[in-house]
Amino acid sequence: MNDMRIVLRSLSARRLTSAVTIGMVMVSVALLLVLLSLREAADQAFRRGTGNVHLLVSADASPLVAVLNGLFYANAPANPISWQKYQEVAGSFPWQWAIPTQLGDSFRGSPVMATDSAFLRDFEPVPGAPFRFSTGRAFEGEFEVVVGAHAAREHALHCGGKIVLNHGSSGSREGGHEHADHPYEVVGILQPTGSAHDRALFTNLESSWIIHAEDRLEQDGASESEADHDHDHDHDHGHIETADLADEDKLITGILLRLPTRPGSDASASIAPQMDRLRRDTSITVAQPAQQIGRLMAIVGDVDWLFVVMAVVVLVSSAISIMLAMVSSMELRRRQVAVLRVLGASAWRVFFLTITESTIIGVIGAILGAALAVVGCQVASAVLASRIGMVIGGVVDLRSASMVVAGAVVLSVLAGVLPAIKSYRTPVARHLRPIA
Amino acid sequence: MVIAQQDSVSSTGVSIANLQFSYDRGFQLRIPSLEVARGEQVLLAGPSGTGKSTLLHLIAGLEEPLHGVIRIAGEDFLKLQGSRRDTFRGRHIGMIFQTFNLLQGFTAIENVMLSLMLAGYSTEEQRRRAESSLGRLGITDLHAPVETLSIGQQQRVAVARAVAGEPSVVLADEPTASLDPENASATIQLIKEAARNCGAALIVTSHDPLLRSLFTRVIEVTG
Repeated sequence: MNDMRIVLRSLSARRLTSAVTIGMVMVSVALLLVLLSLREAADQAFRRGTGNVHLLVSADASPLVAVLNGLFYANAPANPISWQKYQEVAGSFPWQWAIPTQLGDSFRGSPVMATDSAFLRDFEPVPGAPFRFSTGRAFEGEFEVVVGAHAAREHALHCGGKIVLNHGSSGSREGGHEHADHPYEVVGILQPTGSAHDRALFTNLESSWIIHAEDRLEQDGASESEADHDHDHDHDHGHIETADLADEDKLITGILLRLPTRPGSDASASIAPQMDRLRRDTSITVAQPAQQIGRLMAIVGDVDWLFVVMAVVVLVSSAISIMLAMVSSMELRRRQVAVLRVLGASAWRVFFLTITESTIIGVIGAILGAALAVVGCQVASAVLASRIGMVIGGVVDLRSASMVVAGAVVLSVLAGVLPAIKSYRTPVARHLRPIA
Repeated sequence: MVIAQQDSVSSTGVSIANLQFSYDRGFQLRIPSLEVARGEQVLLAGPSGTGKSTLLHLIAGLEEPLHGVIRIAGEDFLKLQGSRRDTFRGRHIGMIFQTFNLLQGFTAIENVMLSLMLAGYSTEEQRRRAESSLGRLGITDLHAPVETLSIGQQQRVAVARAVAGEPSVVLADEPTASLDPENASATIQLIKEAARNCGAALIVTSHDPLLRSLFTRVIEVTG
């Protein structure tokens, strides 16, 4: 027999109350840890998508919009950039790479990015982790498309399949106009990256330019016929080749830039000077993606802290429930305390026995809560990965878990103080009398 | 309360001198002198409300007298403060109650071992003494939760708990109040035998006049 056995017996004597109280602590701790983990996961998910890009050039209204559109496919950028501007920017500095991108088309709501082969080769959606193919290869010729992992799963696309793209994204004014004359062949499926790129499809710029050039010619032809009804309608709106493309057809919506860095480093001292230099050109918007995502997280950070505060309130309320459960059982406890005192236990000893009891409730609840959070996060991670292709860590941060468990234990100790004081002050003789 | 009879004995288990106690509501207890030797068995007899239980609580150090001296096994018990008094109580005083006051959720042997633990015995000694004490009193199912035992068995566990540590004094507060005469007599015999076996002074309180014949020394308590 020892003090711990006394406490455990006391808990088991009120096993229903003990179980419910432990359950409350468990749920509170699990909720708090899951919220903290999801907050961290959301932050990581945003940071993943920017990859190893140092600078993003677009004609969007603001740097943040440029990043959300250009790297997270929020919307098709409204304003294009000319090919001449791309060449001007690309030739203005010895970049490690300068990748042109064009957004605007879609496939059943999934965004399509037209770019060059360097995107799938050099751009890393997660720094240090380049694109990898689940099956197939990168696009090489016109009208070949590579599909992101989530898009492939969502639309049941496989290598060798043919698809027809829509002009405009699903939410745009142009949405719904199909490029039915030019079916694309799926030549590659990418592995999941845990970024927004998993939702996208990738093709080369020339394919997109050809389609849009043909659209333009068709619209020009229709305008001419409306203007001159007597004119013979014998224009040949046949297929255009790459060589036929005019400068006005070669439009892009973004330029991804990376500066040379030392091996093993992602940073470059030239980022800020080059950004300042490019910003002097008022026709373009220059964004530093990592910085913009940091700003975005700072904005939404205040909101998700509210969830954390709510979870802390739940944790505190579980501590109060420990106290209430112990205080409500005080009549039974006082008789037990009186007997312990008669048998030789000091007032301080019963004080600490009571504190130990609340602490054990807190420790068991916190450990079970942490375990529940670990399992819950892994399940959530697996579900998110399989359902929407979102890759989150699925791991409860050890530091967060330690702090939350320690906090829960401290709160449970504090919750035991009032019942412990009542135990300490129990008038022994009065509580030894037979219950009337 | 007034002690009506008193003998002088040697080798004291309990020795009281000039003890005075008062509740706020006016009840007063005065005991000029009382000694109960180790091995001696005394019945405090008298009607309810005359202070018999209060005297036992004073002897056990659970109530504070206005003044006076209580010696247990030669130690001025009231001079001990805090945990020292509690430890001394656990070591030298065994108590038996009308409603047993066994700890619910604990087994028979755990109830006995608990009292031995608080008296300072090692775990091994706790187990040895508890098994021995329960065995002598006829409890065979040592690991049954006490609430599953019969009333008679619970009473025996309560007696075993009081005597297992071989205290100097055993105090039994109305141990037969809820029993019929036959069971009351058997219970008193059980307690007397257990106290005798451990050599303790035994003080039993009862308002039942039928128990007087079972004690050689009876102290009348009157209001």
